[in-house]
Amino acid sequence: MPISKSTPFRMTAFRRSIVTMLVPSLGPIAVFVLVPIALTIGLSFTKWSTQTPFATASFIGLDNYAEIFSASSVGRDFKGALSNTALYSALSIALLLPLSVAFGLLVHQARLKGAEVLRTILFATYMVPMIAVALVFSKLYSPTEGPINQMLALIGLPRQPWLSSPDTALVSIVLLNVWQQVGYFTILVIAGLTQIPQSVYDAARIDGARGLRLFASITLPLLKRTLLFSAVIALINAVQVFEPVALITQGGPVGSTNVLTYHIRRVGIERAQGGLGSAMSVTLLLALVITVTAVFAFARSEPTGRGAK
Amino acid sequence: MAARDIYAPGEGAPLGRALLYALMIAIAVAAAFPLAWMVLSSLKTPAEAMQTPPVWIPATPSLDAYGKVTDLINAGRSFVNSAIIAGVTTTGILITSLMAGYAFSKYRFRGRDALFAITIATMFLPPIVTLIPLYRMIGSIGLSASLAGVILPNLANAFGIFLMRQFVAGVPDELLEAARLDGASEMRIVFTIVAPAVAPALAALALFAFVYHWNSYLWPLTVLQGNSDQYPIVISLSRLLSYNRSAVNTNLVMAGATLAVLPPLILFVFLQRFFVRTVTASGMGGQ
Repeated sequence: MPISKSTPFRMTAFRRSIVTMLVPSLGPIAVFVLVPIALTIGLSFTKWSTQTPFATASFIGLDNYAEIFSASSVGRDFKGALSNTALYSALSIALLLPLSVAFGLLVHQARLKGAEVLRTILFATYMVPMIAVALVFSKLYSPTEGPINQMLALIGLPRQPWLSSPDTALVSIVLLNVWQQVGYFTILVIAGLTQIPQSVYDAARIDGARGLRLFASITLPLLKRTLLFSAVIALINAVQVFEPVALITQGGPVGSTNVLTYHIRRVGIERAQGGLGSAMSVTLLLALVITVTAVFAFARSEPTGRGAK
Repeated sequence: MAARDIYAPGEGAPLGRALLYALMIAIAVAAAFPLAWMVLSSLKTPAEAMQTPPVWIPATPSLDAYGKVTDLINAGRSFVNSAIIAGVTTTGILITSLMAGYAFSKYRFRGRDALFAITIATMFLPPIVTLIPLYRMIGSIGLSASLAGVILPNLANAFGIFLMRQFVAGVPDELLEAARLDGASEMRIVFTIVAPAVAPALAALALFAFVYHWNSYLWPLTVLQGNSDQYPIVISLSRLLSYNRSAVNTNLVMAGATLAVLPPLILFVFLQRFFVRTVTASGMGGQ
């Protein structure tokens, strides 16, 4: 039985152990996560230089928010970064989820030898530091001597400008991100697949369901919770993209890869416009909360199909 | 025997076994290609790096680039810095997560579930949201441009607590009661009874934390403010950017990237059993 008031364990000592066990972790989380969130919100209503103490911040109401949504260059840059991040996130999720389901089904075929090797290779890419991924892909994508264009030319496809054109730069970074993360989401899908009882398939087969039909009416609905979780994690990860932009594109060409993490850091740290940067951070946080809430609401309203919980 | 249905386990085979294998090999090659290309390119001579059509496999593999890049990015010092950041942070996370996981799963007290929910919510927070005030906070306690400033805010995290709570819950209460009757303190119980019982999960958490903080870029870059003596290897690597413009230096850049990739990959190879099992059992992973 877990300790509670009824066990012969003195109340004061019990209280003391709770505090002793929790303070080493919850203390730092409160100080270094919750306090900064409160500060970000508070500072977003002020004019404040990041290079000066918090006490120098002066209250200016909603001016920062008006500024970042205005038609000025500040507003244009921020709205650009917001829509770039939205596009980047949507593309990442749209590629990662179907690929991870396909790869997960493939690896989950326990009778195929070598499936574990594939899983290991896929997952290994997730361990590689993003900065190394960015360096390698900057070479792979090179329009003239890059191996990707060499291979495209070999099979008769047109060479692509990849990172050097505003039309393709953001997509190129999405692809690099998908390459790195697909293994992680595949593991999540495999975990979800192992929890689907064989009896559910057997029952459906007696009803005459086969192949794609089984996938659509059983596998997919029963993976719903896994996929919902994957989508949320993929979104949070996508918002954090920084290294390839900071290292290779610096937000360009013509602002096409200027994503929020990069933009907020440039405004709030490099240009030391702490109040303005904080307003951008709060906007990002609100956008995330709204999106995640909407995704869950949508998932709940959606009929889940036969056999779903 | 026919392979099972690709769409649903246990079904007969619309796709042949050969086709499934071909698919698996194609995916494995695509996944491994960038890393294989990185290593092969690091072994090329500058002349080979320049050649068109490109040389895929160097005729005379050379380690020259590694010697050069080691000086260029101050690799020795950078490795030590990375090891300190990742090592100290990981140790902190293991200790704090184990203790909190124990309290959240084995103690009953008012407000426990609310406290746990708030803690877990922080797991989904993108770091950029807190970056600006955190940067100032670390500066105002005099820790900017230092490794201590990089490490301090990361000594505890929600993911570790979540993971440990999940696994400590599986440790039988009888074991803990028996130790209490023998007069063991709660601290002693956590570190001598609970810790060994959840060793595989601790190993997985150690790998997660070490790799995450070895690879971490945004926070060290922000705190260290150009103090290059304190740079971890991932930030030192960005110095190679100026060499990245010309193909002559491809071998240098790729040698640097290979050096940074090796420690997390080697750790992964040794610990991957724990890793995969833990992600599978907990249904999540990351941070």
